Amino acid sequence: MTTHIQGAAPQAVAAAAPPGRRRRRSKDRHEALTGWAFLAPFVLLFVLVFVIPIVVSVIESFYKRVPSGGGLFGGGEPVRTFIGMENYAEVASSSTFWLGIARVVGYAAIQIPIMIGVALALALLLDSFLVRRPGFFRLSYFLPYAIPGVVAAMVWLYLYSPGMSPLLPYLPDGFSFMSPGVILASMANMTTWTYTGYNMLIFLAALQSIPGDLYEAARIDGASGWQITTKIKIPLVRGAALLAVLLSIIGTIQLFNEPAIMYTANPWMGENYTPMMMAYNNRNLISGMGFSSAVSVMMALIAGLLAVVYALLQRKAD
Amino acid sequence: MTFKRYMKAGALLAVAALGLTACGGDATPANTPAAPAESTPAAAPETTPAEETTPAESGDVVEIEYLHRLPDNEGMQLVADVAAKWNAENPNIQVTTTKFAGEAGDMITKLEADANAGTAPCLAQLAYGEVPEMFTKGLVMDVTQEAAKYRDNFGGAFGMMAPGGVSVGLPQDNGPLVYYYNEVAFKELGIEVPTNIDEFLAAAKTAAAAGKYIVNFTAQDTRDWLSAQAAAAGDAWYTAESDQWVVNTNGEGTQRVAAMWQDLLDNKATATHNRWDDTYTAAIGDGSLIGTIGAAWEAAFMLDGSPTAGQWKVALLPDFGAGQMSGPWGGSGVAVMKGCDHPAEAMEFNNWFNTQLDALASQGLVVAALGDVETPAAIAEAFGGQDVYSVLAEANAVMSDKFAYIPGWSTVGDPVGVAAAAAVDGSGKVADIFTAAGTASVKALKDAGLPVKE
Repeated sequence: MTTHIQGAAPQAVAAAAPPGRRRRRSKDRHEALTGWAFLAPFVLLFVLVFVIPIVVSVIESFYKRVPSGGGLFGGGEPVRTFIGMENYAEVASSSTFWLGIARVVGYAAIQIPIMIGVALALALLLDSFLVRRPGFFRLSYFLPYAIPGVVAAMVWLYLYSPGMSPLLPYLPDGFSFMSPGVILASMANMTTWTYTGYNMLIFLAALQSIPGDLYEAARIDGASGWQITTKIKIPLVRGAALLAVLLSIIGTIQLFNEPAIMYTANPWMGENYTPMMMAYNNRNLISGMGFSSAVSVMMALIAGLLAVVYALLQRKAD
Repeated sequence: MTFKRYMKAGALLAVAALGLTACGGDATPANTPAAPAESTPAAAPETTPAEETTPAESGDVVEIEYLHRLPDNEGMQLVADVAAKWNAENPNIQVTTTKFAGEAGDMITKLEADANAGTAPCLAQLAYGEVPEMFTKGLVMDVTQEAAKYRDNFGGAFGMMAPGGVSVGLPQDNGPLVYYYNEVAFKELGIEVPTNIDEFLAAAKTAAAAGKYIVNFTAQDTRDWLSAQAAAAGDAWYTAESDQWVVNTNGEGTQRVAAMWQDLLDNKATATHNRWDDTYTAAIGDGSLIGTIGAAWEAAFMLDGSPTAGQWKVALLPDFGAGQMSGPWGGSGVAVMKGCDHPAEAMEFNNWFNTQLDALASQGLVVAALGDVETPAAIAEAFGGQDVYSVLAEANAVMSDKFAYIPGWSTVGDPVGVAAAAAVDGSGKVADIFTAAGTASVKALKDAGLPVKE
């Protein structure tokens, strides 16, 4: 638009503009500077703890440490060697890796729907007029999320451990929270406990941004509370549901805290129980961290792929 | 889910990727060679140890950092206090000690990260099983010439700090396996301390019939615990043949050990607590576990605060079919890390520190340096006044000297633990543990790019 005006009356603009423009420009620049200054702490940290590590991981995944000398111990002077896609080939052909992926995908398939369902139900409840002190309940549902993941996992470990668990005496004899068939469900319980409140907040925020006129109009048309919930509220939080599910998929693929803590008491799980554990526990190989970097990158790709597939399916369904 | 975890994971990788650690900043600048961010230490300029040694001019103060993980419990002579004694006597070589606060197995992770960041300490404690891989990774320094000066102060463990004949430091302590038993409970049951496998099995079954266990099978730390028993049965898992590794984790001795444990597990004649779980300590305290095969260094703390303290005694292992022997569980030395500016001075302190017999004994160690030590009072008390250290010294004297470790030993632990857990719950056999150890060993060596004979 500006160019159009300038084109239409070039002389007038040229005559009148300079002082004003200069003023505006310096003001713009000042504003831009303020913007960047506000952004700087984020950008700095983001680059430092996010971008650089990712770039380094991707680079490392193409390298391997190889002994330069001969003999049984390799001479003690290894060299870093470019090996192309070898690390990726090793990950892709590792049954341990795919078993880990299968575990977390299966875990996600069961845990995410339950958690999202419960989160939605709680959000609807708090948004309705049935609850007296929504502030109190909102905080208490959210509280588990405020407990650091490892601490929470350790608390659960005690609740699950035979001999210490206050729950086991009330359960049938021989039942164990940590037997191979049950442990995934036990961990799903931990994750659900932690993140339901968080997802509930996403839904609650979406619910509270629905304009009140809609409810009013619906009520005038004779809709019941139940109808308002199913016909207006739930359809309108679809976007929030998409976000919650996507975040959950990404998070679940990286399942780490819960199994890592469980592993300390259950050696049978092995240190490669989930792909994230595999990446973490192989970071220190003699061949360097190329392999574990490749695991991380593969995991990121798979999580991204699953998220895209889900988003596309969701769009199709809409 | 969620970004928080995503970020946490990112941060985790960031630490690994950048080689930063919380303690990265505490090195004195003078000792910090500029290391390129992404290079392995191998990329540092190659110099012979002699050239790297810069003897301190009189008046110049050399600063040495020493990272250890000794217990430093109450009543022991603290490492820092011992070093203070050295510092007072040697104003030109000042040593700063730091106790590593994390889990023992994580210390080499920290050291590698520090080395990449150029902030590694000069001296660091390494388990004998970790020395070969730290050498192959290029993280420790060749101090063969310096070490040779001190060789006569140490016994056979000197070789544990010299992979392939290249010395990287000096030994500190040994961890021979011994048999701990609750003497009072043994007398009540009328059983004697077993001296061979048959007696061991018989005694275990007698005790099990009375609801007690004279031994515990652990699926935690199984790698060191069982490999030490294989060594005590006369086996060596790793040998060399024409400059190639030969892996054999299923020799005759190992098979005898496997058969013994299979028998005990099948007959439910052994407890199966994880060694470091609270249930283990509880079982020792409540008198249901009345014997255990453990390392010498456990004597210093295994009965801490236990109701059964004072009832226990220590004995040599039963004869596992190769004569009266023992095998190594752990044991450590102090290595000189690459990047150390003053290896000669560091080794001078290394030798002095590791020949402070009483101080080290107070930390519950079976000291590698030669000489006699008395049993610390606290340990004697826990073992009913027994001269514990003379038994530990005896075990040390009959410890197998054939059992060597491979680079990559640290990766053998997990598959062994998985197989051990399967043996405990009955879904696997004890023999599978050793098969798993063999497979993991070959994989580790191949991954390291080292020659393996298959």
